[in-house]
Amino acid sequence: MANIEKQRAIIDFTLSSLMRRKGKNAALLVVYTLVVTALASVMFFTKSIKTEAAAVLADAPELVVQRLVAGRHEMIPLSYVEKISSIRGIRAVRGRLWGYYYDPVFGSNYTLLVPRELTFGDGEAAVGSGVARSGLAEVGNIMPFRTYQGELFTLTVAQVLPSSTELVSADLVLLSSGDFRALFGVPENMATDLVAEVANPSEIPTITAKIVKLLPDTRPIARDEILRTYEAIFSWRSGILLAILSGALLAFFIFAWDKATGLSAEERREIGILKAIGWDVADVLMMKLWEGAALSLTAFVTGVLLAYLHVFAGGASLIVPVLKGWSVLYPSFRLTPSIDFMQLGILFFLTVIPYTVATIVPSWRAAIAAPDSVMRG
Amino acid sequence: MIILNGVSKIFNQGQQNQFVSLQDISITIPPRQVTVLKGPSGSGKTTLLSIIGGMSRPTSGRVTMNGREVTSLPERFLSALRRETFGFIFQQFNLINGISILENIMLPAYPNGERHTLLKARALELLAMFGLEARAATRVELLSGGEVQRVAIARALINNPEVIIADEPTAHLDSKLSVELMAIMERLKADGKTIIMASHDPLVYDAGVVDNIVEIRDGRISCSNRPQ
Repeated sequence: MANIEKQRAIIDFTLSSLMRRKGKNAALLVVYTLVVTALASVMFFTKSIKTEAAAVLADAPELVVQRLVAGRHEMIPLSYVEKISSIRGIRAVRGRLWGYYYDPVFGSNYTLLVPRELTFGDGEAAVGSGVARSGLAEVGNIMPFRTYQGELFTLTVAQVLPSSTELVSADLVLLSSGDFRALFGVPENMATDLVAEVANPSEIPTITAKIVKLLPDTRPIARDEILRTYEAIFSWRSGILLAILSGALLAFFIFAWDKATGLSAEERREIGILKAIGWDVADVLMMKLWEGAALSLTAFVTGVLLAYLHVFAGGASLIVPVLKGWSVLYPSFRLTPSIDFMQLGILFFLTVIPYTVATIVPSWRAAIAAPDSVMRG
Repeated sequence: MIILNGVSKIFNQGQQNQFVSLQDISITIPPRQVTVLKGPSGSGKTTLLSIIGGMSRPTSGRVTMNGREVTSLPERFLSALRRETFGFIFQQFNLINGISILENIMLPAYPNGERHTLLKARALELLAMFGLEARAATRVELLSGGEVQRVAIARALINNPEVIIADEPTAHLDSKLSVELMAIMERLKADGKTIIMASHDPLVYDAGVVDNIVEIRDGRISCSNRPQ
């Protein structure tokens, strides 16, 4: 009980001490918070985008086979299904129909996909939440399209898709195979690409080699490869951004170090007075610990909250041009919050702990000196 | 009863700038009396006061307080001794700027872990005793010289110490405030406090309240007596 009262009294004094040097401490707090916000934003964004990518690919087929003509992706003949099926280790192969459709009325890009199992009939569609947000797609509404020949083509919305992540289904329109072929003029014997199920994932490299040998105009893509590419891209990008931020970080550390380690003559005098009137070295250090902790914790918590709002509510507008890059990702989607607490912990240890320690060391030096100097004014 | 036995203090010992501040001081300071350490500037009064108050350690010799040897106490116990047994009034008063009078007065009691409401009540009582209750929330840098002096005394009394140590308490006061201060000392003596003051001001050492005068010159006791 006495210890709680003692801590309370010391905290009271610490807070009024901080208020006495309002300008200096406020400036430090602002810079400190901005640094934490910047770092935490990069961390949150990178982690979430990787999570999104992993979620997108979780249900993706292990192996996709595309046909290339002059280095470009082309429709693949369904006759390839049989040839690939003959390779040992392949469990099943099927053709897949998907493509993009630009809706000039809403200025939106949709991804049109024929699902493996259709739960609705021809002339109907299931749409993702992003499409639903465009205002058109409530169940029962009619969505107008233009076919490859410029004719009007309509689909009735039968279902709005639930989704765990926006990226998976935001712009998705599911439709029947017949409707897809009619809309884009894809012949019956062609598909966008082929997907293969592999009995043993460790055989994928061998199988891809066999596919390329058997069908030289194809390009097999393994799911793990895509995932690795995403990981590499976003780790590299966040690395670049952190490298740019490191200048700011260094400036902050110099500023904080100077503030924390250089006790002013006034602070030194105060420590002397406190010692002289009966404060122990431990009491002085406790006060300085609270002071450092109050400042750095406030900056850390505020910085992390601002970063959270910036990334997940504000669309990470300040860092997105560097981190996202539209050639890799869909034009627009909202990130689902995903936080790596380990990384957050590391950020805590890299900011709060060094600052607090840096505050304590010089105070300890001042506090262990004999207090009789205050007797001499 | 505070007894000093053969106390010496040498600064920068063994170095070129070695300086002997006190030499072989042996005195007894009786309880509930006013003792003045008298002497010119640089005679060693402040050093002696800081040794008595546990703020610095003698190079040799011993200090005992009510029969307990305090010179060899670890730092933690010395802090507790300063806090619980002594109340200090410094020459520059040494209040902490930027915080209120009330907080300044409560500061020496913070490490005790006493309940805040009780401590505050006691601090307000002391402020009332010195006629400063209306200014409890005022920051110390806005006070007049006389008010600063009274706040410094109130701070020295917050832990109800047995001994009050005052170093040149009238050095920054005019004659009227000096007389006022001595009147306060008289009240404290009547309350049973032991008072030790260092001064070369006749208003202090010639005051009727003084029981003992210890004269110091060049770090040695030149005369120890009771005033006429």
